Amino acid sequence: MAQLRSILTYQGVEVWRHTKVLQWTLQIVSGIVVVVLVAWFFANIANAVQDREIPHGWGFLDREYQTPIGHTFIPYESSDPFAYALGAAAVNTIVVSIVGVILATMLGIFIGVARLSTNWMVSKLATVYIEFFRNVPLLVQLFFWFYIILSLPPIREGYVVGGGLFINNSGLSLPFPNPTGFGPLLVWALLAAGALAAGNVAFRMLTAREVHAGQRSYPITGGLVTAVVIGAVAWIVVSLVAGESPLVITSPEREEGLFGHIAGGFTAPAGLVILLVGLVTYTASFIAEIVRAGILSVRRGQTEASRALGLTPLETLRYVTFPQALRVIIPPLISQFLNLTKNSSLAGAIGYSDLTNVAKTMTQTAPAVSIFLLIMAAYLAMSLTYSLIGNLYNRHIRFTGN
Amino acid sequence: MATTQPPAATRQTNPGAPGQRLPPPITEVGVIGWMRVNLFSSWFNSILTIISLAVTVLALFYGLRWVIAGADWTVIGVLGGQMVIGQYNTEGSCPGQNCFWRPQVALLLVTALFGLAWGMAGNAVARRLSIGVVVVLTLFAFLPYSFDRMGMDVRLLLVANIPALLLGWAVAHYIGMSVRGIVIYVVVAFILSVILLRGLPGIPGLHPVLVLHWGGLTLNLLLAVVGIGLSLPIGVALALGRRSNLPVVKLLCVVFIEVFRGVPLITLLFMSQVLVPLAFPEDFNTNSLLRAGIIITLFSSAYMAENIRGGLQALSPGQAEAARALGLPGWQTTMLVSLPQAIRNVIPAIVGQFISLYKDTTLVYIIGMLDVLEISRAFIQGNTQYISSAKEVFIFLALVFWVFTYTMSYVSGKVEEHLGVGQR
Repeated sequence: MAQLRSILTYQGVEVWRHTKVLQWTLQIVSGIVVVVLVAWFFANIANAVQDREIPHGWGFLDREYQTPIGHTFIPYESSDPFAYALGAAAVNTIVVSIVGVILATMLGIFIGVARLSTNWMVSKLATVYIEFFRNVPLLVQLFFWFYIILSLPPIREGYVVGGGLFINNSGLSLPFPNPTGFGPLLVWALLAAGALAAGNVAFRMLTAREVHAGQRSYPITGGLVTAVVIGAVAWIVVSLVAGESPLVITSPEREEGLFGHIAGGFTAPAGLVILLVGLVTYTASFIAEIVRAGILSVRRGQTEASRALGLTPLETLRYVTFPQALRVIIPPLISQFLNLTKNSSLAGAIGYSDLTNVAKTMTQTAPAVSIFLLIMAAYLAMSLTYSLIGNLYNRHIRFTGN
Repeated sequence: MATTQPPAATRQTNPGAPGQRLPPPITEVGVIGWMRVNLFSSWFNSILTIISLAVTVLALFYGLRWVIAGADWTVIGVLGGQMVIGQYNTEGSCPGQNCFWRPQVALLLVTALFGLAWGMAGNAVARRLSIGVVVVLTLFAFLPYSFDRMGMDVRLLLVANIPALLLGWAVAHYIGMSVRGIVIYVVVAFILSVILLRGLPGIPGLHPVLVLHWGGLTLNLLLAVVGIGLSLPIGVALALGRRSNLPVVKLLCVVFIEVFRGVPLITLLFMSQVLVPLAFPEDFNTNSLLRAGIIITLFSSAYMAENIRGGLQALSPGQAEAARALGLPGWQTTMLVSLPQAIRNVIPAIVGQFISLYKDTTLVYIIGMLDVLEISRAFIQGNTQYISSAKEVFIFLALVFWVFTYTMSYVSGKVEEHLGVGQR
């Protein structure tokens, strides 16, 4: 017995009383249990897949998908392979996510600031908006918008706003610059990037002059004018040299037909419109609360000091309160962006083909396990990208001490 | 000396003289003063006020006109029974008898819980909440609706909520109730409710009802209660695991949290529907309600863990150090010092998570369960004569959800006030 005790002693303490030994035992046991459980789960799936002759593996990716997808932002045909179809669906989700994030942020900041307004009416209206949209499930809101769009008139009797904006029960059409091909699109993108870079340089130079020389230099106007002028000149030069403009701006037009049809411009199908309206109004109510909390977190003395220095309320918000509030706002804002992206998976309920919806259809003709692994990886990649951008921006705006 | 004194006559006529206070100008106090400060403080504010007033008046005018004259609310009466309980009381699920009394008795257990809480807390919030709940339930007994296979007994059982509430209150008030007693009651009542809803084979009044037929608002509430009850403790465990200095435990918790937070709930639910039947032996009884409950709970606990971790991070390290210095062992430091403070600081975030869990219960449509939203949508799609009333249905559903979620945030605000969050 005594010998046993001396064997089971570590650093002069019996092992069953030694914290480190106990902790490591706990960790090893829990690790093994989890690994065994996960392995058992997937081994069962693997067995079931083999026994019941369910298709498996990754070979399906090269096969033709042979199923139409309702709407895609990149050209897609039924003869394209599964891999490309999944990619097209992922592009749909990414576009919805980016456009939704931009619109929701703008609306959310507007409503958050409105809620803090000293104007009683404005602040109450903003409160009603937030309390309503935040507390009702997104799916209920999406169905509501779905039946609103459904009750709009058909294309032939649809509303036309200002000659260019078509609203009807099959979607929303608006004028849009369409590239004439991939090469011209690349040229256009390069031109736009160059013009923006030149505008940015001008903005920085003018700001530096304003700060160092104390001369009023209008950096924002100067930067914008530089970007627009350079862009326009480059556009004209390229058009003259190449003989055609890199982009053709087309307006939607009604075409005659049995049910009516809209050609030209960009037509967002009803599902996309519903999804974006629903996601934006819903997420904006959360963003508004984040913006409000952020602005309230800036100490009162800051506002008072800036008002005492003679800045107008709007200037105070723009130059003093908001930059400081951003530090509090960014982390939860990023998590709202992620939520918007994940909530876009509700598209299936209103008939829009996002990543989840297409994947769900694919499981009927392709191995489910492989597809799930792919879309999980896709969503995780999107989450990580947003987190990365958010963290980089957060680092950029944090206090540097000088 | 006398010349420095102002003449007596002037002093008396001076309106600003001490002892003779004049009322403030009429433009600075009262309704006009309030309006000047809050609505018309500048030309910009005046324009804003006028615009928002116009928007409000127009919205109210057209909204109310539509609600009273334009909308057709008959669909709510037709759909009402299914909204509450889904396919539970149809001939297919409950042949030859009326099963509606079973969820209603379960509801009585819930009402009694409200009474217990009211009697125990004895404050205005608990009183207002429980009386509000029972008043609404009793009002339903007098509404002129007519559901399939539902007669007078439905109305009587709704009125029975009044004695149930009073009984709960009386027990807590006169006999006394501890927190432990409430917890035991909740667990027992929950098990009883599930048995009532599920039914027992062989007992004549309790014909077994397949989980497949459970639905409506009952399903949403059931999933929400299970999720709320379980996701908080699991979330606490995950948060502690993620902050622990044991590398393996930490890694497992991080992977779990990040995977469940990174993927949409709807994808997880759908995956569970396809993968779980594959992972278990073919004769294994997997029911969709259990699966949905597990997935929703796990999904919510991952978010809960991050909220609680935020609360733990915000605590000053002095608290834990002081507790250790007083000789408390590690687990007591965590359970008695760190966690209570951390949870108190993140109550808004936790309740926000509860609310979003409740809202997320509508997503179970993806695995074919007929919750209140899906059953309404299916009804509209199946009965085309009601398609023009779809707006009414979804506005009504929005209101129903809003009442529940707003109550949750109201109670959380009161709890926060009671605990003095932000005052210490």
